[in-house]
Amino acid sequence: MKKSSIGMLIVFFLLIPLTLFLGTKLRGRSYYITSTLIILELMVPFFLAFEGRRPQARQLVVIAVLCAIAIVSRLAIPIPHFKPIFAIIMISGIAFGPEAGFMVGAVSAFGSNFFISQGPYTPWQMMAYGAGGMLAGFLAQKRLLPKKPLVLAVFGFLASLLWVGPLLDCSSVFLSLSKISLSGALAIFASGFPTNLSQGLSTFLTMLLFSKPLLEKLDRIKLKYGMTEADNGL
Amino acid sequence: MMMTDAYSSCHPAVAFTFFAGTICCSVVIQHPAYLIAGCLAAAAYDLLLKGRKALKNLFLLLPFALLLAAVNPLFNTAGERILFYVSGRPYTLEALLYGAALAGIFLSMMLWFSCFNVVMSSDKIACLFGNLIPSLSLLLTMVFRMVPGLTGKTQQVICARRSIGKGSCKADGYRARLDDGMTVLSAMTSWALEGSIVTADSMRSRGYGTAKRSSFMIYRMSSRDRILLAVQIVLLLLVILSAAQGQTAAAFTPELSAAPVSWGIAAYSAYLMIPVLLHLKEALQWHISRLKI
Repeated sequence: MKKSSIGMLIVFFLLIPLTLFLGTKLRGRSYYITSTLIILELMVPFFLAFEGRRPQARQLVVIAVLCAIAIVSRLAIPIPHFKPIFAIIMISGIAFGPEAGFMVGAVSAFGSNFFISQGPYTPWQMMAYGAGGMLAGFLAQKRLLPKKPLVLAVFGFLASLLWVGPLLDCSSVFLSLSKISLSGALAIFASGFPTNLSQGLSTFLTMLLFSKPLLEKLDRIKLKYGMTEADNGL
Repeated sequence: MMMTDAYSSCHPAVAFTFFAGTICCSVVIQHPAYLIAGCLAAAAYDLLLKGRKALKNLFLLLPFALLLAAVNPLFNTAGERILFYVSGRPYTLEALLYGAALAGIFLSMMLWFSCFNVVMSSDKIACLFGNLIPSLSLLLTMVFRMVPGLTGKTQQVICARRSIGKGSCKADGYRARLDDGMTVLSAMTSWALEGSIVTADSMRSRGYGTAKRSSFMIYRMSSRDRILLAVQIVLLLLVILSAAQGQTAAAFTPELSAAPVSWGIAAYSAYLMIPVLLHLKEALQWHISRLKI
């Protein structure tokens, strides 16, 4: 059995139940710490799989470049909550598969926070961005996502609004509610809606204008340097 | 004024242990005395690290914290002492105080993370995890190197385009500016991706992947660091012991209750004040040695 699958089994059947159990035993507020620990533990198998594959230099550098472009796109646009970063992460996932999409998302969330600010939301952001890249990569791999700019734009809009955004809002649910209740959680999701809408529109626009040239460039790199997914599973 | 912070010059493991312990404690414990100690220590360290900027940060955070406290009773109606009714739902004192406690947690978290951002720079993170997750920390290091490079190159591309009359300015309207931005982004992507292949080939020809990678370590564990680490761990264990004894217990709804203040708070405060005390000690020593000149 591969090291990473052993790691995954340990996380799912030992670490997460243990965290939940200890969370109920904790005196004081256990919502935030328990949920954040579980989020971190959920990311461990992905990182272990990445380490376990011993990525080749080319895979490593291409992922690093995509992360850097995503980070710069988050830092360079001066409009708040209107960043093309989701679109770039999703395009990376579409071009190089769900695992690369997750890595680009998680690393660019963590990395960009060094330039903006780390906060209690960092693990949630890594998970949410990574999940966005993974979803796009997964759908593209199963050929459910045609690579047409308009389709990708609509997908990007919906994914930002209904998948990445709400995952991000979960950190506020666990951090700022005194009692986790449906009405309280709904109120937080509702207050996050305008932000998610604006992010969704930015993703829509970027996907519409940029998905075709970027995907072409990535495909060309893959073709030119023989980095097919079947070969080395980037 | 001394420009460097003594705690920041310690081994990254010392600071990382401190922040991990602090953040876990301050998000779990809701006893008012502990919360106040946490907020004060965090604010003090943030002020020492950032000076005037920290004050600005604090003034930005305070309204958020107050809002958080005021909003909580709207969702949590438990409690006996009713202050007034909001559209038929009771607004209770207990829930308001619970909201204040949550605001305290929020405030101390944000302040500790503000300190974390200054003390734990990206090279320290890479140094700490370089041996544990080599590929990931190499990835992170490369990303940090590429971001300034990409930003600089973007400026170059924009300037070059402008000088041949291709750039856009504010008067051109949104459509033209968007197109221009996308062209620049597109050029940047090509440049970065082609460059990445060159980098990768260069890495491979220098033997990347043939043996275990060693990492450059600028930080060495000195005896001071070892002592600090030991003190931190002992104090943290005392805090955990006091929590296990129930000293940190506090509840707000449906009924207010808090455990009496005991030695646990002293251990907690001492733990939280380590960076501040170290900073002040160094500042004092510096001052004294300057007086001797």
